[in-house]
Amino acid sequence: MLLQQLSGNLTQGLILGAIYGMATMGLNLIFGVMKIVNVGHGAFIMLGTFVSFAIFTYLGLTPIVAIPLAFIVGFALGSLFFYFIIGKLTNAPELNSLLATFAIGMLIEEVTKFIFGSEWRGFTWDVGRVTLPFTVLPITKIYAFIISILVVIALYLWLRMTRSGTALRAVVEDKEGARVCGINVDRMYALSFSIGIGLTVMSGVILTFFISVGLNPYMGGAYTLRAFVIAVLGGLGSPLGAFFGGVIFGLVENGSYTLLSLIPGIEPFSLTRFVTFFILLIILLVRPTGLLGVK
Amino acid sequence: MISVGKSVNSQQSIVNIKKYFPLLPVYGIYLLLFLIGIIYPEMWSVVTLLAFYCALGQAFNIFLGMTGYVDFGYVAFLGLGAYGMALGIDVSHQTGLNIGIIFIGIILGLLMATLLSLVVGAVALRLRGAYFAIATIGVNEGFRYLIEGAKLWGGSEGLIYFRQLNEAMGREKTNVIVTFWADVFVLVIAAISAFITLYYMRSKIGYALTALREDEDAAKVMGINVTKYKILAFITSASMAGMLGATSWGLKYTHVFPADVFEIHYTVEGIVIILLGGAGTLLGPAAGGLLYGLSKYWLGAMFPGIQLLIFAPIILIIIVAFPEGIVGTMKKKIKGTVLERYIA
Repeated sequence: MLLQQLSGNLTQGLILGAIYGMATMGLNLIFGVMKIVNVGHGAFIMLGTFVSFAIFTYLGLTPIVAIPLAFIVGFALGSLFFYFIIGKLTNAPELNSLLATFAIGMLIEEVTKFIFGSEWRGFTWDVGRVTLPFTVLPITKIYAFIISILVVIALYLWLRMTRSGTALRAVVEDKEGARVCGINVDRMYALSFSIGIGLTVMSGVILTFFISVGLNPYMGGAYTLRAFVIAVLGGLGSPLGAFFGGVIFGLVENGSYTLLSLIPGIEPFSLTRFVTFFILLIILLVRPTGLLGVK
Repeated sequence: MISVGKSVNSQQSIVNIKKYFPLLPVYGIYLLLFLIGIIYPEMWSVVTLLAFYCALGQAFNIFLGMTGYVDFGYVAFLGLGAYGMALGIDVSHQTGLNIGIIFIGIILGLLMATLLSLVVGAVALRLRGAYFAIATIGVNEGFRYLIEGAKLWGGSEGLIYFRQLNEAMGREKTNVIVTFWADVFVLVIAAISAFITLYYMRSKIGYALTALREDEDAAKVMGINVTKYKILAFITSASMAGMLGATSWGLKYTHVFPADVFEIHYTVEGIVIILLGGAGTLLGPAAGGLLYGLSKYWLGAMFPGIQLLIFAPIILIIIVAFPEGIVGTMKKKIKGTVLERYIA
């Protein structure tokens, strides 16, 4: 019985982990290139969930349409914020960029609240379900899993195979060296920030394939914190590390929840979160470059 | 001979007093706040709001402003301070100590925050930059969920102790302390933090911290014990936060809920205040606290519901246009004039 519950939860955890990982890649891409931590990360995930919500509820289209649309919205917003704010802070102390990204997140939240209101929202997109021996999976969750992996592969191919991807990796490795080789570093900053935000907004759409209720302008905070843990797990600055970090995180989160539920007299949901932050601190102490990070 | 010695001595003491001239504008602001609150009782709630933000900035600045390390989990120290007050009152309300239990609460809050800062300082201060910021978020959130998850100190239901305060001190005294003295304590904490800031600035500690903020590796090579000074600033700042949490939250609200006191939003407010005023300056947190508090109050009254929508772009404009804050920009302007002596 317990084993069945555990394997059911771990399957859910694997799918959720893939989404988490995909949702953290944008954060890591931006940090890898610009050394800026996007504290407003969760707000962009939230924005993606609202794009999905609007496409499904107001236009009556399948949320799959929202995926490319969300990327375009995110890319445009990323470029806008880069040219007016972030691009001017690349040499400023950390304090400034951390506060700037926080304020950007706040702006996104408040604009969303202004348009959609602050009540909880949700929708039901049902395309059937698959019954496994230990759990029942809605097909939308399987979509989410497959799309997440496709996005990861696409990002990997872009970074490895294309000219701009190679240039980007050169900037991550050695900014000055890249400049000497004739790479326009500022353009690479702009590109990484825009793609990073685009990926993040897109991940919000994919998140609604897993959970399509509980959408709220302020839902992003919890995802920001999770993304930080995942980013450190996979090695800050490594987009692909983030994906595997996300998978591990999803498995740990769901697995420990099942096990902690067995202990009487505690609140398993909160304690699960304690466990994840405890793991974060241990990893930061033992291997600050991340569990999977390569220096 | 003796007279020469004497004159040198008195000259030195004049120099010493002059060193502390920059405290005058800061203490002037706090005194003015207090007087406004006394003379116009209807303004007291605004005064308390401003006092809290000034104190938060002033205490946080000792670490964040002077070292340049961004502690995103700073609010955990305030939270623990509030819990210190709660536990102190709960434990000692039947001992007949009367008002004394408040001081037990403040001291307990101070001790708990200091203890946490020792642990976090020893562990997290080995990390730098973004890693440090993320680790401190982890400490804050971890603490909150430990309290909620393990049902420590009342778990997510928190602690409520208005009754215990009444039992210990009587209803009338309790009312005066909760509505008046708690806020006066906040101003006192702001003043103490300002004094410590200037004391550090004018001593070896300040030079070490400046070197550390500019270039940590170079400072190390120069033979400065960076770790020692970093931890010193961290612990000082955290203990001030502990006292601030104990009085401005624990004592004032007479209840503590983990979801309220570990809210990361307060850390961000502290960062905004410091950046607005000028990081690492003495007057900056007071100026930033006033400006932030007043604009928050005013925007909330004028545009209820959309004040943050207006506030977010304002923050962004300030970061891009005045990255050194009000006092930082002002200090450059007044360089070489008489005013320089009073602004630090």
